[in-house]
Amino acid sequence: MEYDVVIGLEIHCELKTQSKMFSASPVNFGAPANSCVNEVDLGHPGYMPCVNREAIRMAIMACSALHLTIDPLVKFDRKNYYYADLPKGFQITQQFHPIGRNGYILIKKSDGSTKKVRINRIHMEEDTAKQFHLSDATLIDFNRAGTPLIEIVSEPDMENGAEAASYVENLRQTLLYLGVSDVKMEEGSLRCDVNVSLKPKGSNVFGVKNEIKNLNSISNVEKAIDYEIARQKDILDNGGVIEQATRRFDEATKTTVLMRKKEGNVDYKFFPEPNIFPIRLDQTWIDAIVNNLPELPDAKKARFVDQYGLSDYDADVLVANMGLCACFEALANGCTNKKMAANWMISDVLAYANKNDIDLTSLKDKMDGLAKLINMVDTKEISNKQAKQLFEDVLNGQDAEKLAKAKGMKQMSDPSAIQGWIDAVLDANPQSISDYAGGKDRALGYLVGQVMKLSKGQANPGLANKMMVESLKQRIG
Amino acid sequence: MFEHYKNGDPKTNYEKANQSCHDSQDKYNDVVTFVDYDHPLIQEALHHQDGPLAAIPIALKDNVNTKDLKTTACCHILDNYIPQYNATIVEKLINAGALIMVKSSMDELAMGGTNLTASTGPVANPYDRTRISGGSSGGSAALVASGAVAMAIGTDTGDSIRKPAAYCGVVGFKPTYGRISRYGIIPYSSSLDHVGVFTTSVKDAAISLEVLAGRDDRDMTSINEKPEPYADLLNSDLHGKTIGIIGNVIDSIDNENILDQFNALVDKLKANGATIQTVYYDEALLKTLLPSYYLIANCEASANHSNLDGLRFGVRMDGDDPTNVMINSRTHGLGPLIRKRFVIGSYGLFEANQEKLFKKAQRIRRLLVNATMDLFKHVDGLLAPAAPTIAPKMDTDSADQLSDQYLIADNWLILGNFTGSPSITVPLGYDHGCPIATNIMTKPFSDQLCLDLASAIEQASGFEPMKGDR
Repeated sequence: MEYDVVIGLEIHCELKTQSKMFSASPVNFGAPANSCVNEVDLGHPGYMPCVNREAIRMAIMACSALHLTIDPLVKFDRKNYYYADLPKGFQITQQFHPIGRNGYILIKKSDGSTKKVRINRIHMEEDTAKQFHLSDATLIDFNRAGTPLIEIVSEPDMENGAEAASYVENLRQTLLYLGVSDVKMEEGSLRCDVNVSLKPKGSNVFGVKNEIKNLNSISNVEKAIDYEIARQKDILDNGGVIEQATRRFDEATKTTVLMRKKEGNVDYKFFPEPNIFPIRLDQTWIDAIVNNLPELPDAKKARFVDQYGLSDYDADVLVANMGLCACFEALANGCTNKKMAANWMISDVLAYANKNDIDLTSLKDKMDGLAKLINMVDTKEISNKQAKQLFEDVLNGQDAEKLAKAKGMKQMSDPSAIQGWIDAVLDANPQSISDYAGGKDRALGYLVGQVMKLSKGQANPGLANKMMVESLKQRIG
Repeated sequence: MFEHYKNGDPKTNYEKANQSCHDSQDKYNDVVTFVDYDHPLIQEALHHQDGPLAAIPIALKDNVNTKDLKTTACCHILDNYIPQYNATIVEKLINAGALIMVKSSMDELAMGGTNLTASTGPVANPYDRTRISGGSSGGSAALVASGAVAMAIGTDTGDSIRKPAAYCGVVGFKPTYGRISRYGIIPYSSSLDHVGVFTTSVKDAAISLEVLAGRDDRDMTSINEKPEPYADLLNSDLHGKTIGIIGNVIDSIDNENILDQFNALVDKLKANGATIQTVYYDEALLKTLLPSYYLIANCEASANHSNLDGLRFGVRMDGDDPTNVMINSRTHGLGPLIRKRFVIGSYGLFEANQEKLFKKAQRIRRLLVNATMDLFKHVDGLLAPAAPTIAPKMDTDSADQLSDQYLIADNWLILGNFTGSPSITVPLGYDHGCPIATNIMTKPFSDQLCLDLASAIEQASGFEPMKGDR
């Protein structure tokens, strides 16, 4: 039987604020356990919440970048439930009045077309503590408790794992460019819950959904969804019934595993947080935030194509990595040949950073020196091959011109010197001359190669090639 | 009373008050914890003996967090709770030079009006030990009434300062909602909770308010206004002032003695220049005050106290897993009345019930606020007896909870919490040797006006505390 697949995503994103959502204690991933806590985070008697203005600013940035309508009246609610990782016995969230509603993300489908995935809402809330279950005890680290979160809830607009992965990737990139989150799925600063259901093709009645929790990478989002679709399809095809449940993705087997069956919806007894009066945001403050967003990935990509004449592919590769992007812009600034700058960036600089485990942003101030090197290639002062030999030294701060000089690398464009090498090579390779005469074009490459070898790489290869053709014509007559 | 201690040697004052507090505890069981002279609460105050409360012995209700000093809110689950921080008002009191002598008894988690539910046992009324002090701030009321301290901090969610003040013959004042920071005070119901004081005079209440008031960035509901020199500005002139007598309250009181003394007071206020006007609430609406109050208070309380789970502080009971630790700790550590209230609160918040219970109560609150604000268009203050009876006997069954007297006269003070209005109880006289009192409420933010009218009432009533061993 044919099915329509319905996929919706709920994404929790930790905001990169200095302090917590409702308290003054620091937000610091990786700090020693329970070192970033105060009476508010621990829910000690008498604590009161105080809203973090910076968190609101970041939430507004996210809403604006993702095309949501911002509610200028900020309200919070209590979500009541008992759990060891929830110090107050309730979470302060925005159940009734999310900060943003009705946005969207554009994703690219496999056929290259663009699809709009709608975002239902973004709301602000606080994170829970982290539990560590040992065989005979449970340990709790409250450092994470109270960390500001935004929850981004999509409409069920996706149909397969690839679309969902593309949605998460676009979202991740946008939040990263906004600077509002580390968006590291492996560290939990971006957490993704997926809802998957199947319905008979064309039906307007939704099927029973299963929720897959806490996927720790984008590729796992895709794998988990595709597995889950196949699993549900299999059950339905065999006349079975899907039971509503929460599942988790098992990395080892690449399958989804049942965590718990849903026993009716939990009643969270939501009600307005009485200790935080509604906050009316100043419209000029909102406008200032919205009008000063950093450049977002799509805009940056378009600009790279437009301003630097890059291909879509190159622009994509650059924009996918913020550090690479920043370096590229610094490099392109000093390079006459922007396309050449992009090539160096995508191949050499990226490989160098990966090999040496260097943060790309730390290379940004080395880009002027690298630009000089690349410009020397562009003006044919040195060959591309020579430039690659100098590349690492240049990134270590040495001057390209001085290096080239010291190593005798200046590219030779003096026709008389090149003619000397050509004559020597032709004299030594009569067979190649007759091969060339016989129509074997390969022989030309070989002969030019010999010239390069003889000149220790200093001969201008373009010029050498052109003069070789002339000399061959003369010798063949 | 403050005058009596002022300029005294703090150590001498401490020692005298310490003795008096022990005496008061022996007689009335009003103390939970005594503060040693060496404790930072005292020692730090010694550095501020130029402050407005220098060397003045005071008490804190035991729901006010004191760093390094046990704070139990008279609830067993907090028997071993030693806060790591001071409530904002504790810092203010220390900086004013006040000597915090004791933590005073209260109803468990401030949820009660009798002080019979304290984990440390009932508090006796200093005028008649067979009677209750009233609650929930009963310990604070008794300590001021017995003269052990000159001022005591209380909290007031329904009438928890103003009712025990009436029963114990002292001034009980809760200013406008948000005037005094609630940060560090163990809550009951956040939208109704107020901090206030017990004193023996209106002037002392005014001096105290100047110390306690002011914006606190850690309490987002606190008012963004600087404190005023309330005591210096006190003005008891009644000319040009209109006082509204709440007819519904008067009509529902049976006690003729109380009514006679109240009417005599009103005559004096008139003679002193006040314009007197009797005003009425819609009776049916007013009778919904108490049930609406219970719903809102219990709903908010059930969430507020969800942090009492034994995991991070307090008395922890064993369990197979964290969930069972929480269940066992709460079952063991919370009294039966508290658990009942939490059940009611949770019930009112369930999605299926919220519309007809919690939200309906909120709408009634809004109607009562609107009705009160309408009255304030015509009068400066609303006046009535603070309670329809003297303090009840400890062993009497609770009153008929559906009588007019109970629904209206015994609980009208809740209007002050619904509206957030400043409201003050001032002693009026005696009935059978026990104090009776009046209460005046003015519109929100008019704390000075409230104190001014109270001062005029204080002068007119001429109340004298009884001397001798009470």
